[in-house]
Amino acid sequence: METNEFIYLDNAATSFPKPPEVLTGMNEKYARYGVSPGRGSYDLAVYAAELVWQTREKLARFFNAPDPNRVIFTANATDALNLAIQGLLQPGDHVVSTQLEHNSVLRPLYHLRERDGIAYDLVPFDEHGLVSPDDIVKAFKPKTKLVVISHASNVLGTVQPIKEIGCLCAEHGIPLLLDVAQSAGHIPINMLEWQVSAIAFTGHKALMGPAGIGGLIISPDLELQTTRFGGTGVDSLNLRHTQSYPHRLEAGTLNMPGIFGLSAALDYLEQNKTKMQQQKTQLTKLLYEGLREIKGIRLLSPEPKAESVPVLTCTVKDRDASVIGEILDGDYQIAVRTGLHCAPLVHKALRTAETGAVRFSPGPFNTQAQIKLAIRAMAEIAAML
Amino acid sequence: MSAEKFKQKSELEQSYRSIAGFTLLFDHEGYLWEPKDWNEKVAVALAQECGIDLSEKHWKVINFMREYYFTFGRAPLNSQLKKGTGLSIAEINALFPGGIKKDGRRIAGLPNPRACL
Repeated sequence: METNEFIYLDNAATSFPKPPEVLTGMNEKYARYGVSPGRGSYDLAVYAAELVWQTREKLARFFNAPDPNRVIFTANATDALNLAIQGLLQPGDHVVSTQLEHNSVLRPLYHLRERDGIAYDLVPFDEHGLVSPDDIVKAFKPKTKLVVISHASNVLGTVQPIKEIGCLCAEHGIPLLLDVAQSAGHIPINMLEWQVSAIAFTGHKALMGPAGIGGLIISPDLELQTTRFGGTGVDSLNLRHTQSYPHRLEAGTLNMPGIFGLSAALDYLEQNKTKMQQQKTQLTKLLYEGLREIKGIRLLSPEPKAESVPVLTCTVKDRDASVIGEILDGDYQIAVRTGLHCAPLVHKALRTAETGAVRFSPGPFNTQAQIKLAIRAMAEIAAML
Repeated sequence: MSAEKFKQKSELEQSYRSIAGFTLLFDHEGYLWEPKDWNEKVAVALAQECGIDLSEKHWKVINFMREYYFTFGRAPLNSQLKKGTGLSIAEINALFPGGIKKDGRRIAGLPNPRACL
């Protein structure tokens, strides 16, 4: 099968390409207003700060969060999760999380267990790729201080019942930290309705923004300790780091091109989200139905539902996934993500830790023709191996 | 020592081991630490550890990878490997069943790709 077209199916890693409007909007704003926001009294600095504030407000509306002051900019979701986990937990605390988590949750917890003696329980997932809210509650202990859950699995594409879990957490007075790295931009997220105490998001996946910008949004009843210290542009005489939000959790000059890009991306999503979501859902369904028919392919992801995110992962005859990825790239110009996807416990549970797996994640700019090519490529590879 | 046993070692660990009569430094995943330490006898021994008898086609790929590495300072991309050897990636993977980046590069004495593959 000869093809010269490059087919990018790794949007769960980062969305690519970015909409031209987002790149243009980012560049134009940065060219005109790219000064240090709020760090000077000249008009441009004041206006730049205003643009940053407007983006906080946009994000608060997007996630139905109560307070734009508690929209904290970070480098990405990993950075946001570290900020929340390390800012909340004290030695001896207990955490409930799941075996579906990405290393951006698992590694901070592991580190704090090693350093501070925190304890944690990781709830397993079922054959549908879902965790049971009841299992979450059963794992609660007297010292449970936090529940951390990925909204959508970056390996399976399944979406957890967060409304139910949020309700249970609220009943028990335990904050819920939600990692929406894989869901924000695909499915609506409602922080207030779901009673989520904090969400960690990244700008560069389905939000269609640039890499290097993300955020942590926290509810007014959650207090996080400052874990990064430095200049905030306010109260500079005081050597104690500013404790009011958002400065309490931000230090140094913000990523201005990232914020402008994220703002442009939110505008783009507002205009195009329905069409994009329909496209992604159709493509994922087409891909699932095609891969399911190929002998030798084991689909790890369950059949996608309307609320699933566009991620499908599989193995081919238990071969090392890197082999499949190399052939897809070199012979078919198809880009996928192979390996463990930074989610080792998912693969341990699915017995794919040794070989890894092949993950397809269509985006809004993929086409049905490209998906059909990918299916054909996988059929040829499975037949030859 | 098989490549599998290397996987248990810590990320920062290097170790000397004897192979084909030479004592060479390897990383924790069985890649030669110094590409210049490689020679054909070492390649044959590393290949045997992977269950591979090196053929003319194997040497074609190995020699291309090494020449590319020492010319450009990095391993060839998949597209460059295809062009340089005249083989498809599927054909090259059939020569190195563990994968080009894993077995192929290890046998060719190139550095560990150090990526989640």
